[in-house]
Amino acid sequence: MVDLGTAILTIEMVEASQEGMKAIAAALAVGITGLASAWAESSIGSAAVGATAENKDVFGMALLLTVIPETIVIFGLVVSLLILF
Amino acid sequence: MLQPKTMTRLLIVGSKEQMPSAVTELYRHHVFHITDYTDQGKEGYEGFRIGQPMEGATELSTDLIKIRSIENTFGLSPDDYFDAKKRSAHSIKETIERDLPVIEQEVSNLTAQRSAAEARIRVNEQRIAELSPFSGIPLELGLYRGYETVSVIAGKAPRDIEIPVSHEKFYAPGKSGGTMVIIFKNEDRATIDQILSEAQFRPIPVPQEDGSVRQRIDHFESEISSLKTLLNNINVQLAEIKEKNGDFLAACDEVLSADVEQAEVPLRFATTDLIFVADGWVPTHEVNNLKSGLSQATGGRILVMETEEKDDHHQPPVEYDNPSFASPTELIIDTYSRPRYDELDPTLMVSIIFPLFFGIILGDIGYGLILLAFALGLRRVLKGEGMQRLLTVLRNASISAIIFGVFYAEIFGAHPGALNIHLWDPIVSRHLLIGSHAYYQADIALLLVFSVWFGIFQITLGRCMSAVNHARHHHMTHVVGQLGWIALMWGVLAMIWSFAAIPLMPDLTGLPEVVMGLNIAGVTGAVLVVAGLIAIVRESPLELIEIPSIISNSLSYTRLAAVGLSSVAIAMVVNFIAIEMLIEPNLREITALGIVFVIFGIIVLLLGHLLNTGLGLLGGGLQSLRLQYVEFFTKFYKGGGEKYNPFGMKKKFTED
Repeated sequence: MVDLGTAILTIEMVEASQEGMKAIAAALAVGITGLASAWAESSIGSAAVGATAENKDVFGMALLLTVIPETIVIFGLVVSLLILF
Repeated sequence: MLQPKTMTRLLIVGSKEQMPSAVTELYRHHVFHITDYTDQGKEGYEGFRIGQPMEGATELSTDLIKIRSIENTFGLSPDDYFDAKKRSAHSIKETIERDLPVIEQEVSNLTAQRSAAEARIRVNEQRIAELSPFSGIPLELGLYRGYETVSVIAGKAPRDIEIPVSHEKFYAPGKSGGTMVIIFKNEDRATIDQILSEAQFRPIPVPQEDGSVRQRIDHFESEISSLKTLLNNINVQLAEIKEKNGDFLAACDEVLSADVEQAEVPLRFATTDLIFVADGWVPTHEVNNLKSGLSQATGGRILVMETEEKDDHHQPPVEYDNPSFASPTELIIDTYSRPRYDELDPTLMVSIIFPLFFGIILGDIGYGLILLAFALGLRRVLKGEGMQRLLTVLRNASISAIIFGVFYAEIFGAHPGALNIHLWDPIVSRHLLIGSHAYYQADIALLLVFSVWFGIFQITLGRCMSAVNHARHHHMTHVVGQLGWIALMWGVLAMIWSFAAIPLMPDLTGLPEVVMGLNIAGVTGAVLVVAGLIAIVRESPLELIEIPSIISNSLSYTRLAAVGLSSVAIAMVVNFIAIEMLIEPNLREITALGIVFVIFGIIVLLLGHLLNTGLGLLGGGLQSLRLQYVEFFTKFYKGGGEKYNPFGMKKKFTED
């Protein structure tokens, strides 16, 4: 084992590191839920466009159905806000 | 207000001589929703058939088709003549006899000329396409034909081909393969064919023209341009005719459509040889008016009966009965589904709650003002009733956004933010610590709980409405079930409040303990929970699976805070980038490069806020709408009502 030297861990370093961990956690919360929500909305969105191409009247309903998975990313956002603040 | 209009079922019976006057009178009143008669041999209707169209229907239909085809040629639509003054129907009918054949003749002449010209242009373009490969070959076109001992072959070849027998060859290289012309003796045809097929030679036909290639191409091109001027002339003439007669045609369309509808309505009645029976619905407060009108029009020789029996197959049509400020929201409810006749009409509630939620999400004075200007300005541009209603909803929503902007003390995301304007202290702060001037911290927990309260209230309201709907049909198990859900939710809330102090929620942790470590609030909560569960299970045991939905539905309302915060964050970041990074440093010392940066910063500011307005409109609108449709409507709304479509027409261009 190579001795790379020793360091003294101070409380400020730990606190700064915790701040960084919080930031990473918040980012992961929004990022992964964002991916999930985008994946879900993409197939609904293409079906919505297909339905609207066949019949213009369903546009309002189709648009609404496309944003239903938004709940997933909003919960992620709420979690990240709770972590950060 | 919370109910669609009450409808009365009317049976109108008269002899066929009275039918025309009765039909005209019904059309004029525009209140009778006809139930079409289907030949199904209903009891009491043996021997009845659907009627024949009244006489004159075929001529009217032919005239209407002519007018519609002229409108099609002009690309006219009735919405173009929104403000034309009204003419009398009688004068229109006279003018139709006189002027319509003339106009029709002119228009069909011009369209025939136009299509002939277009066809000739196409033929000429085809000929030019045939000639253009030969433009690089220095041969007169006459020299390609008329030989006895030699043959000519022309085609496209990717590159020059070596031919061993004696021949004359011309090769003009080109982008997509050159053109090659080979003149050879008739005896060598087989050899030539073999060589050419190996070398990927594609033969093309030789044009049957004379003279030089350039000349012929110029000739065709000049023909094309003269034909195009002719086309322009024709289009100008057509536009003139459209200008002169456009509103007349729209009025004709209306009069003839009305006449055709009236002439064809016997197809919806039940008739025998001598009488007709019309079955339909009329709003109750219009019945007496209609009765007196009908008896006047037919000299009393008609029978109008109000029937009481409510057929299970025929639900009355549904017409909204809302005060004028709530009626634009009917568009939103119709997008989901029209209410049933016997259930509560949620339009009034949605018309208040939807703008409220939109305001909570957007909550910015600046964006609210932009959207208000947008909604008021587009009224002149976008015609059509649906659009006008949507714009009214947008106007209400943007006013709500401005009010909440005052509440949150936000204008374009700044307070003080980068602009360093101190407005007033926000009641609830949404500002984030972005930028060097920001010193307000966002009250996140407060905002989240604030939104969840809205959720709790709206869900309770939805369940109450469901209980009312069930009570009307005397389904008492379901009524108790809905009350059970309400009890369950509030019971869980009471228990939570007795354990933990949550901001903005009543703090019941300090009460003395009663039993098992629960205080009074906890005990009440537990009792409510148990009662609620029992009521739910009595309604349907499978409903127990839905219990976690009370948490997910209430928490779903946190999107009011979350989407709003993301909008604020984007606004503050745009301010930060544009003002603190781009504009301010360059205003301290003015240099030439600095001016460029300042202009760039202004552009970034404008584009960023414009984008954020669009995102706020889309996000705020859709999320608020989704909360209504998914969390509110699924609790009590069945929908599926038949639209009220009364026999008659709202006349825009003519009057009687």
